[in-house]
Amino acid sequence: MYVRRHNRFSIDMPLSPPFGGRGRRQATEGGIFLPPPGADAPPSPRGGGQGRARHCFAALLLILCLTLTACHPRSEPDSGFTPAYPDSRSDSGYTPTYPDSPADTTSPDSGNENQGYTLDTIPAYSGEAYVPLYNNVPDFDPDDLPRRSFETYSELDALGRCGVAYANVGLDLMPTEKRGAIGQVKPSGWHTVQYDNVDGKYLYNRCHLIGYQLTAENANKKNLITGTRYLNVTGMLPFENLAADYVKETGNHVLYRVTPIFEGDNLVASGVQMEAMSVEDGGEGVLFNVYCYNVQPGIVIDYATGDSARADELPAADDTAGSDENTVTYILNTNTRKFHYPDCSSAVNMKANYRQEYAGTRDELISQGYEPCGRCKP
Amino acid sequence: MNIITVIDDGGGLMFNHRRQSQDRILRERILALSDGSRLWMNAYTRKQFDNTESDAISVDEDFLRKAPDGDFCFVENVPLLPVLERVERVILFRWNRAYPSDMKLDLDLSAPPWTLVETVEFPGYSHEKITEEVYVREEA
Repeated sequence: MYVRRHNRFSIDMPLSPPFGGRGRRQATEGGIFLPPPGADAPPSPRGGGQGRARHCFAALLLILCLTLTACHPRSEPDSGFTPAYPDSRSDSGYTPTYPDSPADTTSPDSGNENQGYTLDTIPAYSGEAYVPLYNNVPDFDPDDLPRRSFETYSELDALGRCGVAYANVGLDLMPTEKRGAIGQVKPSGWHTVQYDNVDGKYLYNRCHLIGYQLTAENANKKNLITGTRYLNVTGMLPFENLAADYVKETGNHVLYRVTPIFEGDNLVASGVQMEAMSVEDGGEGVLFNVYCYNVQPGIVIDYATGDSARADELPAADDTAGSDENTVTYILNTNTRKFHYPDCSSAVNMKANYRQEYAGTRDELISQGYEPCGRCKP
Repeated sequence: MNIITVIDDGGGLMFNHRRQSQDRILRERILALSDGSRLWMNAYTRKQFDNTESDAISVDEDFLRKAPDGDFCFVENVPLLPVLERVERVILFRWNRAYPSDMKLDLDLSAPPWTLVETVEFPGYSHEKITEEVYVREEA
């Protein structure tokens, strides 16, 4: 039996590393969340996390501002598997570039270096729709690749969230007719909301974990998450196209797994991990392991609930903090209505009866009719 | 030297050391295009033509420098900029699909000296529509 059931991830659970990391993702039994290795306790049920600023956009903004750093190598043993690569790779002059990949990706053979990714060590979204994980090598057992098509979808959990969708995509699973209606499905965190700055207006799509073009699943609630238009079209679709066209052209299979990544009890996934490997040629045709961000440029999302807002219409996250940051001590000349830095020679030589110290922002002074000194240019 | 290459909607050629896609109808078209001339490629690209017995195909890792004027070069995973001055014509195929890419075509065909002189569309085997565009170098 090739189908392994995977749990959704908590923030500190490793995203499947290639070859050697199998099993770190914990299996579920009847949708019950089992803790990741090293975790003290399973995540609290939804609603049990008192004090969480679930609905606070200020907190959300802070989260979005976090700079996530690369992870450290794991010491787990290498499986010895060397994925198939084109013979000419070292002679072709081909030098790929990866967005913020934490590993050395210039050598394809470094793909076996095990590194533990968790949601908090994946680089923050920085304009690229996806980031490679584990040098693009998926966590499939190369010695046990299935030859027959199958598809399996996890049961929804207690919060109504999707889990891992896993398939061995073959021609026999692919659609023979146009996609049917899926609007009746309301994935966890679903909102019907439109913005002018979103392609197609609708922020959220019912986003197939395994795309319709691969396994012909229509309104399968175990295969549909609340995903942004950006995740759906810019993030996931290119990978689906890659796998689908390979299968159609060669008749081979592609082992394909998509894992929605939820932080804690959030109803909207932070992103999805997509893994694929062409079976009959051992990955020579298709091989990837990526994380696609469930973001929408210009829109801020509260992943706990699915609430959203235009980024340019949000109030400042913390006005007080913002004021403190911009507060500067200036020296005012109440006669000339100029303001200076304290070490400006004009301030130092200023007549005492015109001199006034002021702590505040530049904008405040300008709004009061003061002009910045042309010498120290405050 | 005539360059043959194929890109996706984002100008991509490769992802994770692998071609973005392939199509048997496109291969037939490429062989037909270069009929009567030599078709140069590297070993990686030659694997696409494993089922093709052709004396007209030359395989060399330095094919872009060795191919003489007038011959065809099928480029999948090598940069063109180093040999740009030798390129007389570019036959660009488009998948009309979006794929991931981490290597893109390093040639801007939308600007001089390149002029689009021909566009043809045809269905592929696994691609609904493949577009063929022919660009020639227009002398100043």
